[in-house]
Amino acid sequence: MTRSLCRFSGLLLLLCAAVLAATALGSVRIPLGDVLGIIASQLPGVGGLVEKDWSLAHEVIVLKVRLPRVLLALVVGGGLSVAGVLFQGSLRNPLADPYIIGVSSGASLGAAVGLLLVIPTGLVGHGFLPLFAFAGALVATWVVSRLGQRRGRLEPTSLLLAGVAVGAFLTAVVSLLMVLRIENLQEVYLWLMGSLSGRTWNHLTMSAPYVLGGLLVALWLAKDLNVYLLGEEAAHSLGIDVQRVQRLVLMIGSLMAAACVSVSGVIGFVGLMVPHALRLVFGAEHRRLMFHSLWGGAVFLLTADTLARTLFSPIELPVGIITAFVGGPFFIYLLKRGSAGHG
Amino acid sequence: MDKMRLENVYFAYGEEPVLQGLSLSLQEGRFSGIVGPNGAGKSTVLKLLDGYIKPQQGAVYLNGENLRTYSLAQLAQEIALIPQTSYYIPFTVQEMVLLGRTPFYSRLGAPSEQDRQIAQESMEITGVAHLAHRLVSDLSGGERQRVTIARAFAQQTKVLLLDEPTTHLDLEHQVNTCRLLKEKSREGVTVLAVLHDLNLAAAFCDYVFVLNGGVLMEEGSPGEVLTPELIAQVFRVSVPSLQHPLTGRPIIVP
Repeated sequence: MTRSLCRFSGLLLLLCAAVLAATALGSVRIPLGDVLGIIASQLPGVGGLVEKDWSLAHEVIVLKVRLPRVLLALVVGGGLSVAGVLFQGSLRNPLADPYIIGVSSGASLGAAVGLLLVIPTGLVGHGFLPLFAFAGALVATWVVSRLGQRRGRLEPTSLLLAGVAVGAFLTAVVSLLMVLRIENLQEVYLWLMGSLSGRTWNHLTMSAPYVLGGLLVALWLAKDLNVYLLGEEAAHSLGIDVQRVQRLVLMIGSLMAAACVSVSGVIGFVGLMVPHALRLVFGAEHRRLMFHSLWGGAVFLLTADTLARTLFSPIELPVGIITAFVGGPFFIYLLKRGSAGHG
Repeated sequence: MDKMRLENVYFAYGEEPVLQGLSLSLQEGRFSGIVGPNGAGKSTVLKLLDGYIKPQQGAVYLNGENLRTYSLAQLAQEIALIPQTSYYIPFTVQEMVLLGRTPFYSRLGAPSEQDRQIAQESMEITGVAHLAHRLVSDLSGGERQRVTIARAFAQQTKVLLLDEPTTHLDLEHQVNTCRLLKEKSREGVTVLAVLHDLNLAAAFCDYVFVLNGGVLMEEGSPGEVLTPELIAQVFRVSVPSLQHPLTGRPIIVP
């Protein structure tokens, strides 16, 4: 118990250090001490004790620009990774990712509709973009899960096929929209590549509740998911209501992924790679795997995003490029390793 | 006494009827086998007994009570099933066997010391204790099958259902598996296994059900049931009448 407590506080420290470092880095370098002071000055209780000896510009950069972005990277990275664990577990397929049953293509269509058709009319502001994406993701997931049933039961294979088919269809619609409406093309394109650039506290409050809520339900279902890995009949014989668990898991996995995608765009490979890699290290037991995927995914995306905005500063890369850049070779490594057979 | 009973069970997958009014009963503490050609409905019988599928007509009884009156959690403490296909995920042997204890602790809890003890004993009985920390996905077919059986033993149920537990195993492991099941039945556990190998059924089972086209053709001790006449009728293969020189049980050779 004390050992796991030690490990837990160690991880928490690592996480805090990563947040501080990422907030300090950027086109404007801010001293670590200032970052620490600016954050501390905002905390209830200790805020009054901090002496404010930094420039206002730095304070604005830290509080309005970098900190929300850094925290959002943690939420999205952790959320996508835990969602990946859920999808890989409930579909019993190591190649499943949070987007496999339509979340990303649905969100893309939602975002494209928002950016190309609705927002230009001035009917709603740009701040509504995540809502368009969120709605698109949920509708697409709903359609796929309806199509993925046979005789009233969800079937992993049918779900995967339905996901691919619906995904291809929706992507075609997005492309069509992009050809017909070229005014905001670049914005759509950037969204599709996934980026955390320019995200605010609003984006954080829009996504974090789903990720945290989903995480709690996911931990609640961890034991069932372990048993479910044995196959449906064996799981049933061990007292698991297989269909109910599967529906619940897909539902919260989709909600988490949809919440992440709607604020960040389609950031690939995180939800596929992080759970897969950590399973090799920590084993398939779900509670452990979810815990490690949460912080692993969070730190991974934070690192990727920090690289995205510092590597070619002042030019910023969409973070999706970095994750795919790391993800592609990693995937080839997994294939060569020949371990892709088991979830 | 009847531990479990199928009464007039009708079951169809979609339009295709598999069982049409099947009745059979499992006596407590007996090692029974189901044999029959492919598509006879053997696996369907196991799934019905486990409550994984429900009869469209008729009923399944456990301890004289309709299976529908049991909750999933209660059933998991009464009946263990080893299905035909098992998935071998990167769990260690110990983790895998401990999964057999899941019906006995809460969803947020962890296996107790007693659960671990029971898992340890199951691993020792099945001879996989020395593999406790190896990954199941790295083991050979025979070792995996023993781990799966250890998991079912750890569930400590009074009924054990197995779908072709000896397929893909070599002779030694086939015989060992059957011995383990026989020993379990001597402890009072009701064991029912689908067996493709008629000789294994003949050598180890106390009682044999012969199923063909969803109909129970014959039941009884292997010596009574597995006659050349019945085998010719059910499997369409003619065999000579042979007996084991030591046990007197039938030997089936084409």
